[in-house]
Formats: sequence, structure tokens, C-alpha cells
Amino acid sequence: MIRVPAITRRLATAFLTALALVWMVPVLMMLAVAFTPPEKRVTGFGGLVVEEVSLRNFGIVFADAPILHHLLNSLVITLSSVFFVVLFGAMAAYAFARMRVRGKNIWFFLLITTLMLPVPTLIVPLFQINKSLGILDTYLGLILPYTALGLPFAIIILRGFFEALPRELEEAARLDGVSQPRIFWFIALPLSWPALSVVVIFQFMTSFNEFVLALVTLDSDSLKPLSLVPLIYSGQFFTQPGAMFATLTLITVPVVVFYFAMQRFMIGGLTTGAVKG
Amino acid sequence: MRLHTGAYTQGFAFIFPAVALFGVFVFYPAFYVLYAALFEWDGINDGVFVGLGNFHQIFTDDTPFWISMRNALYWAPLTIVIQMVLGFLIAFLLEIRTRMVPLFRALFYLPAIVSPVVIGIVWQRIYNPFGGLLSDIGRATGLKFLAFPFLADTQTAIFAVIVVNIWQWMGFSMLMYIAGMKGISREILEAARLDGISTRQTAIHVVWPMLRHVHMTLILLGVIGTLQTFPLIYIMTKGGPNHATEMLPNYIFQQGFILQNMGYASALSVVLLALSLGLSIFQVKVLGARFSFGAGR
Repeated sequence: MIRVPAITRRLATAFLTALALVWMVPVLMMLAVAFTPPEKRVTGFGGLVVEEVSLRNFGIVFADAPILHHLLNSLVITLSSVFFVVLFGAMAAYAFARMRVRGKNIWFFLLITTLMLPVPTLIVPLFQINKSLGILDTYLGLILPYTALGLPFAIIILRGFFEALPRELEEAARLDGVSQPRIFWFIALPLSWPALSVVVIFQFMTSFNEFVLALVTLDSDSLKPLSLVPLIYSGQFFTQPGAMFATLTLITVPVVVFYFAMQRFMIGGLTTGAVKG
Repeated sequence: MRLHTGAYTQGFAFIFPAVALFGVFVFYPAFYVLYAALFEWDGINDGVFVGLGNFHQIFTDDTPFWISMRNALYWAPLTIVIQMVLGFLIAFLLEIRTRMVPLFRALFYLPAIVSPVVIGIVWQRIYNPFGGLLSDIGRATGLKFLAFPFLADTQTAIFAVIVVNIWQWMGFSMLMYIAGMKGISREILEAARLDGISTRQTAIHVVWPMLRHVHMTLILLGVIGTLQTFPLIYIMTKGGPNHATEMLPNYIFQQGFILQNMGYASALSVVLLALSLGLSIFQVKVLGARFSFGAGR
């Protein structure tokens, strides 16, 4: 906190309030159009002005589009990739921090190089690889690449955390004859929850909002996650902007709820988690 | 010796699942595009070997590719600089305030957690010259130029999309600066205040220079982010009008999955891969950037 004269603080507040209002206009407009009764076609200011609030657009969406089914698809894909990233990422990070691994530095260098790899460079080969593995147009065809792409970040964050853990704890356990895998599972892993929560949040957000891989590998509408839903129904809702914007609102709710429920862990992780790459 | 081998085996067992997944879904694909780039190939039938022909065409006879390069040169500096300045300003002003800080932080960060697909559709409506928000404001205030079809005009379209990208990701820069400012010792700021340095000067001459690591991280992530821009372009313009908003990821998608030129799309992927790895390594090795937090995907 920086101490300043009261007048400066008041000016700062006024400026921040004005900017925040402008910044929220697109979000408010989305909500306004979604809550405007469907039969009211002409609305002021791109739909920002609401004269009458109605839930009927949401009724149309739930009647015409299996939105909860798509939410379920998103959750299956996202939560599976979060689980695998946490498990495999923590194992690898622990090995890099504490165990003997042949060629450790080379493996680690290869992993972090791909932090800089743009996903769109992989869409052609991943489409072909999924096809040869027989997992094109399946959940698994997204879960496995999402896991692979999420691992480098997880390993870097977790390795930094494991390295910072006091060695005495593990040494004491080792002297008592506890094996390395058990030390990892029962001592190191439970202690690393602040870093794990950062990994969980990050992996959840990126997988939940991921678009390009889902677009090229999923063909069946029944498997598609929420991020593809606007494309599926863009034709059907073309003349019903209210229903379309109600859909957009419904897509946004889960990820916003998740983020704000987890936010305090994120800020904690941000301030403690300066990690050398 | 037995003990040694056992320890190595155990270590390898711990990294094996990660390495295996990584090998199949990241490394193999990276080499796959290198190979596929040498063929004229529709993705279904056998390809015809053309050597470096695809690359020759990309560099000598491919207007959309060069437009995508030009657009990246608009996109990266505009996005990065404006987001850094705004993000820093807001983070600094939040340090001044005492109340409602979490609310402001949440509001500015909100767009970054919303799917770009949603954001693209909402902003399409804002830019719509017939009954969109901007045109309605233009009509009400007499500022007629606001009714301009920004997304449909080849001169303005890319900048219209860049505005949306800045709006979406500015909160991330803000969050990084907030985290960075938490690391500045109170004594330094207090000393600046006692020396009679103005708030503005404190921001510019004391706080900004101390956040060099945050600046470098944001530049690095901004460049990577530019190179993987896809959903906003795909939803808002599909790269049009007449390729005016073309970005490399969208061009790869169009060539590979719409035109079925998988070989050519692979060659474009190789160029994107080389660009992103080259630029990242340059920034990390030469400029000393590093990932403080939040690696880009």
C-alpha cells in the first residue's frame, strides 16, 4: 500500500471506477441481450438498454440445445486432464527435484522448450495421430493432448516447489526406512498443495476454454464441450440474438464461478510462485 | 551398483508417464510436420514428394502468408505496449487505494477468464454497423464515424480485432504487476515519500524500473500469445475480409482443414514453429526474459 494525499486517492478512485464501467460494457451488453424478452427485436444501444427482464431466452436454450450435456462433456474432458496433469506432473517434478534420473537436464530442457510451442502448429499432426490411434472424435483424443500440453508448466511450477521443501523431513523418513515413492506420496505431495492449486486452476482454465484442438478433432455434436457450442447453434439461433446471448452467458458461468471460488489460491500462488524457467 | 541401477530405474519410472505422453502428443507431432511439409498431400491419399517446394511457395508466392506476418507486427507491439501501460497504471492505482481493491481486480481480470469464442461473438455485435452498440452511440451523439463497418473494411479490421484482444488480456498484465508490486519493499516506497517525491514520479522512476522481470515476462508471453492467436480471428472474421485479418494459426487451419492442403499447412506450421522457438530463445538468452509465472499456451 502506497501512502498518498487524500485528493490523489479520490482521483484514483474516480478514474478506476470510470475505467471499470467502460471495461464492463461488453459483459453488461451480453447479459442485457440475454435477459431481454425474445419478442422485443429492437433495443437501444446494441441491446445495452433493458426495459423488461425475462428468462424466456434461457428457456429457449434449454429447450432447443442440450446445454447441460455439453457442460458434462466439458467437465469430463477438463477434469480428466487436470487429474492426469497433477498426477504425472507431480511425479515427474519430484523426480527432477529429488531423484536420480539419467539425462535429467536434457529431459527437463526438452520439456520447457515446449512452453513456447504454439498449439496451432500441432493441429495437423494431432489430427492424423488421433486418427491412427483410433481416438479421433473421442474424449480421449482431447484429454491426452491437453495433458501433454499442460505438463511442462506443471512440472516447472512443482519442481520449484519440491526443491524448496526442507530436506530434513524426507531425510528423517528415509532413515526410518520409508521408500522414495512413499515419501513422495505421503510427505512431499500433501505439502505441495499451494503449488498444486496453481496447477489445477491453470489447467482447468486452459482446458475448459480450449478451442482449436476441439474444433479439428471433434465431429460429433454430442461430444462437443461448451467452447464449441456457439458454433453448433449459430445457424439455429441466427435470428434469435437473445437465445444466442443466453447461450454465451450460460457458457461463461461455470468458468467464472470456478475462478472466483479458487481466486485466493491463485493470488497466493502468484506472489509465492516466482519460478526460474 | 545394484542399488544405483535401482535408484535410476525408480527415477525413470517417475518421469515415464509424463515423457511418454509428451513424446506421443508433442514431440512426435513436431517432427511429423517437418516431414509432412515436404509433400503435396490432401491428408487422405498418398502425398507427392515436393522437397522444399511448399516453403518456396510460402516465401515467394503467398500473399496471405505475408499479410499474416504484417498483422503479427501490428498485433504484438500494440497489444503488449498498451496492456503493459494500462495494466501497470491500474495495478499502481490499486496500490494507492484501500477499499474495493478485490472488486476492481476481479472486474478488470474477468474478460481473461471468459472463452474467446464468447468474446468474439459479443464484440461482433458491438461492431455491427446496423444496430450495434458503436453505431447506436454514433447515431445518438452525432459521431457518425462510429457506424463504420470496422470488421468488414480491409483497412480497419485487424485493428478492430486487436482492440478486442487488448480488452480481453489487459487484466492479466494488471495481475502480474500487482504480484510484482507485492515484492517491492515498503521501506523504499516510504523513503520516496519522505523525500518528497510525487506519486507520479514514484510510479515512473521508482516502481516501474523495479519491475523489469515482470515487463520481460509480459513481453515474452505477449509474443507467444500473438503467434498462437486463433479463436478471436476465427470467430470474428475467419481471417477476412480478403485475408486482411489473416494470422498464421488461422491460415494453417484454413489450408489444412478447409482446403485440405495438409502438406502446405504442415509447411506453414514449421514456419510458425521456427518463429516461436527462435523468438522465445532469443528473448530468454539474449534479453534475459524468463517465465516468472503463467507460461503461455
